[in-house]
Amino acid sequence: MEENYKSGYLTHVIILLIVLIIVGVGGFYARKAFLPDGFGKYGHYRPGAIEDEINRPLRNMTNESCLDCHPFIKKIHLKGVHKTVSCEMCHSAYANHVDEKGKVFAKMPRKQGKEIRELCLRCHNKAIKARPVTSIKVVELPAHLEEKKVRTDHNCDQCHHVHAPLYYVNLAKEMMNMKEEKK
Amino acid sequence: MEREKILAEIRQDRRAFIKKVASGTIAGSLLLVIPAGAFELPEQLPGMKEEKGPFIKGKKFAFIVDITRCIGCGSCCVADKNEYNVPDGNYRTWVERYIIDDHDNVYVDSPNGGLDGYTKPREDLPHPVRDTFFVPKLCNMCEKPSCVQVCPVGATFQTEDGFVLIDKKRCVGCAYCIQACPYSVRFLNPVTKTADKCTWCYHRVRKGLLPACVNVCPVQARKFGDLNDKNSEVYKIMHEPHVISILKPDMGNKPSLHYLGLRREVV
Repeated sequence: MEENYKSGYLTHVIILLIVLIIVGVGGFYARKAFLPDGFGKYGHYRPGAIEDEINRPLRNMTNESCLDCHPFIKKIHLKGVHKTVSCEMCHSAYANHVDEKGKVFAKMPRKQGKEIRELCLRCHNKAIKARPVTSIKVVELPAHLEEKKVRTDHNCDQCHHVHAPLYYVNLAKEMMNMKEEKK
Repeated sequence: MEREKILAEIRQDRRAFIKKVASGTIAGSLLLVIPAGAFELPEQLPGMKEEKGPFIKGKKFAFIVDITRCIGCGSCCVADKNEYNVPDGNYRTWVERYIIDDHDNVYVDSPNGGLDGYTKPREDLPHPVRDTFFVPKLCNMCEKPSCVQVCPVGATFQTEDGFVLIDKKRCVGCAYCIQACPYSVRFLNPVTKTADKCTWCYHRVRKGLLPACVNVCPVQARKFGDLNDKNSEVYKIMHEPHVISILKPDMGNKPSLHYLGLRREVV
């Protein structure tokens, strides 16, 4: 009676062991099948994801990359107070203009006419009252135009070069031998 | 004698002219041979080009937003949208406008995330405005990111160099991380159907370039750099007396994004 019980107990253990091994091995292969390569190498993530992120294409470049091919603009842009303004802000991203091989395939948009005024006021509008005077010079329209005694339908770029806003202004002052008005 | 002199000068001029034409032609043809744009990327972050391993070694990057300088032009938002082709209505970074009236009521708005700039003052407010300022928002790159903790598939992770990134191939779009983020910087990208957020332009940083938004900021309101480099601007700011604070410190996420001149009203 006792021996029978003992042998039965062993069979149960063996069956249990076999089931455990099958589950263990099955689990191991299932994990391998479902998890991507190297998962957990650095942490609970796929190590290839870092590489994927690094290989994301660059769409914006720097001002230097733009000015390399536009020496004339470079001359003006870097001398004016707009030298910190990004080319890509007004003319859209580098990748919309030059492809990966470095070939120009499309023209960049240029703001003209009334759009210019909108673009300028994006930064220089005094009415917003939130612009720190230490960072930027702000004007109110049409008060600024009236103060300068020009027609109020004038566009900003009729007096201000968009790349170097004070270029024409300073040039005119030099020519006319004008002195800066003291305020 | 006089005539001789003039003739010599003309000869000299001719020679110079021919030289100029020749060199111009050579330079011009060279321009055709060498494709434009095949130049070295400028190195805005020193020492990043030597970094070849999976992680950046010996650098601790920090992002500082200077609220006292921001003019709310939205250049950063434009650059960001360009860089990542962010679908309309979603923002990896955006600029908020805070308006405080003379009754100390605070109004916050961000029309189209500041992408079109702020062209009009608010006119629907009952009381006169006392103060207005802009606050750019982006990923806080927490040292203890709650988004990573809740991700059930290991799609959001923190690299050893401190960047919190998203594995687009693993993400199942369950949006747990979007709920977990205390700063609401995450969104479900309607094109890829995966979670998406600002990465501090990890791909640009690894190539030695500044993040797109930092690169375009015309007033240097956004600053990015290595805290281990004692010559970097961020190091100097973080080690000198300034009003520096982080958003929602009580959440315990320990963000690496710092705000310079942050106001009490900002949440």
